[in-house]
Amino acid sequence: MSTPVVTVHEAVVGDGTSTRSRSARRWRRARWWLGLLALVVVAALLSALPEPQTSTLTLAPDNPGDLGARAAAQILEREGVDVRYVRHIADVEALAGPGATVLVVGDYLLVDEQVDALDDTGADLVLVDAGWALGMLSPSLASSGDSSAELEVRSAECEDPDAVVAGAITASGSMLATGPGAIVCFPAPGTTTDRGGAYAVAESDGRRIVALADTAPLTNEHLDEQGNAALVLRALGRHERLVWYIPSLDDVGAGGESEPAPGQLLPPVVPILALQLLLVVVVAALWRGRRLGRLVTEKLPVVVRAGETTRGRGRLYRRGRSYGHAAASLRAGTAARSAGRLGLPRSAAAPLVIDAIARAAGRRPADVEALLYGPPPTDDRGLAQLARDLDHLESEVHRT
Amino acid sequence: MALTWRAVVLAALGLPVVLVVPAAGTVLLWTLLVVVACVADVALAASPRQVAIRREVPASVRLTDPATSTLTLTNQGGRRLRALVRDAWPPSTGAQTDRHRVDVRPGDGIRVRTVLVPARRGDAQADRVTIRTLGPLQLAGRQASLTVPGRLRVLPEFASRRHLPSRLARLRELDGRASVQVRGPGTEFDSLREYVIGDDVRAIDWRATARRSDVVVRTWRPERDRRVLIVLDTGRTSAVRVLDAPRIDASIEAALLLAALATKAGDRVELLVFDRRVRGRVAGATGAGVMAPFADTLALAEPELVETDWPGIVAQIRQRLSQRALVVLLTALDPSAVEQGLLGVAGQLTERHQVVLASVSDPEVDALRTARTGAAAVFDAAAAERVGLERAAVSVRLRQRGAEVVDALPDDLAPRLADTYIALKAAGRL
Repeated sequence: MSTPVVTVHEAVVGDGTSTRSRSARRWRRARWWLGLLALVVVAALLSALPEPQTSTLTLAPDNPGDLGARAAAQILEREGVDVRYVRHIADVEALAGPGATVLVVGDYLLVDEQVDALDDTGADLVLVDAGWALGMLSPSLASSGDSSAELEVRSAECEDPDAVVAGAITASGSMLATGPGAIVCFPAPGTTTDRGGAYAVAESDGRRIVALADTAPLTNEHLDEQGNAALVLRALGRHERLVWYIPSLDDVGAGGESEPAPGQLLPPVVPILALQLLLVVVVAALWRGRRLGRLVTEKLPVVVRAGETTRGRGRLYRRGRSYGHAAASLRAGTAARSAGRLGLPRSAAAPLVIDAIARAAGRRPADVEALLYGPPPTDDRGLAQLARDLDHLESEVHRT
Repeated sequence: MALTWRAVVLAALGLPVVLVVPAAGTVLLWTLLVVVACVADVALAASPRQVAIRREVPASVRLTDPATSTLTLTNQGGRRLRALVRDAWPPSTGAQTDRHRVDVRPGDGIRVRTVLVPARRGDAQADRVTIRTLGPLQLAGRQASLTVPGRLRVLPEFASRRHLPSRLARLRELDGRASVQVRGPGTEFDSLREYVIGDDVRAIDWRATARRSDVVVRTWRPERDRRVLIVLDTGRTSAVRVLDAPRIDASIEAALLLAALATKAGDRVELLVFDRRVRGRVAGATGAGVMAPFADTLALAEPELVETDWPGIVAQIRQRLSQRALVVLLTALDPSAVEQGLLGVAGQLTERHQVVLASVSDPEVDALRTARTGAAAVFDAAAAERVGLERAAVSVRLRQRGAEVVDALPDDLAPRLADTYIALKAAGRL
């Protein structure tokens, strides 16, 4: 063979791009995605801005709705009261002490230990809608259990200075004085304070316990009606610090006896280590992710095999249960090959073929005829048997 | 921009540091360190676009023979070029190792060789050359894929050339040039010579004998300078896979063997590659110059998924051939396709030319025919039997129209076709 002709191509330097054109192209290609990304980031930032946080929790100091109490909280803050909004008794314990006011909103979620913890703080208490806790905290006051939901204008009818200043409030419900040193105000219209009132004050162990039977005077909706604001602000603004406590479901037990979360069981280095591992993973991904040049593709030749059409035809025979067709094909094949071997022309008549094969195979012509031209089989076994018999016959013809 | 495993190791080295100083700031500092080191490395890496690349590749290579694609890289930049170079070729070219590590000083050059062992016929176009240069720390680098043109034509394997010597020997026997005496082959008058015992008495030329005192016999030789037109059908039936290669590959082997044989026998061989239009042709080449254009044209013959236009082929043949010739149709003996296409025009061809139809048969069908394992196999066997009968019937109809039919397994087709050619030549039917 002669030496191969070698084609030498012109030397190529670079790909005709410059740093400028490449960066321009990258910018053109990426700008839409970058714009989208910027949009998402801006939206996320906007939503995460330290915008005055609000909630929809009833009587929460950050709820601006009708049932919230942001108005009262904001007025108190403006007047120089340090309002601390807490949901856990542990926080109350940490923040409250003598010389502070603790506002407790509702007692449905309180348990004995928490009420005891409240008692132990030594702070003044304002209990709103907390009849059961009131009974435990103050021996001289009790809820009457009368829960009339009708809001009505009630006048003070007592000597408590706060109540007298307020004059009248809109409220419902009632509490009873069961011992000495307790003052009950704002009875239902037409009754006296002996029958219970919406507001009660009791002094015990040097601290003052104020109870409101109804949450209405505190809400944004009703704060500006009658003397509600005066009563509430005077009750809550007595001290420099107000701990606004709304019990929550996940506040389990008092004094931090809860089990530590799984994350707290790990050594503190673990999250930092995970962060560093994340860096390693990112770098490894960048290392493996960059391909050394693109994949090279090429056309593949047809993968369908020539025998597929034959197989397909076989399946069709089988699905159609065409034993007759199949048997006829097998017989015709055997007859044609045998006849060819015996030197008969393809156009030879059937009796001639039968005769020749019978003589060559040493069989009776009737048997050969039954095999080659008999009735078609009617099931799988019959067809398989026929195929075997034809094979036998053909091999016998071959031998002669 | 591309990173190496060293960058990962650098990032991982921060783990013990974090264990010693467990703070988020440590992670941040280490990330900054990794980023700065990588960016500096990229900035200090040589530019992959300041490398002159020259490619040398053989124009053509025979299938399964190795070829070498040589890249000459010259560092035209001012920095030391530490790089990984990939010379990408399509998968079927069988590039053994197409990645090369190079280290070139400024102004120097280096050669990298990629050995290709092609596994598929046709033109293989080189893909891009990718250069990934690394900075001094080898943490990161720059990467560019450059288009460096290159084409390698993979010629048909011509494995059937092993049959050529034996066929040529038989041809020489016909020619009377061999030492073995054979009886009167050929029809063309060659020369007169003295009678030796054993010659056919019917070959005695009585007139010449009368002129001389000796008994003189005529010798004959096979016709020469006959025309042979090989028509390769690249229609849909040629695309089908038989054994492990498309049917057309076996046809190409047969065409090459026949061309080599006929050229040696002194005939003029032409080639027509056709499906619905002319895909390639070789005409006018003679002697030793035939095989190269044949291999070149056949290398590019690819099956097209269209139905072959047989009247078009007949028109082409009529246009090319004015005198009687041997027309070899390399196609598939597919009963339905032949009935709808070739049978209608076979008569027009055979009345003017000697026609041979060569077809690749499928060994899988034979295997199916003899399978007896289970009912499904017997049905398949019946289908195979039916296919065989239909092929036989179509062959008979073609023979009735005067065409020769060669139906053989892929490996046997080339020698069988050559034998048919020799037999036709011996019988003086060209």
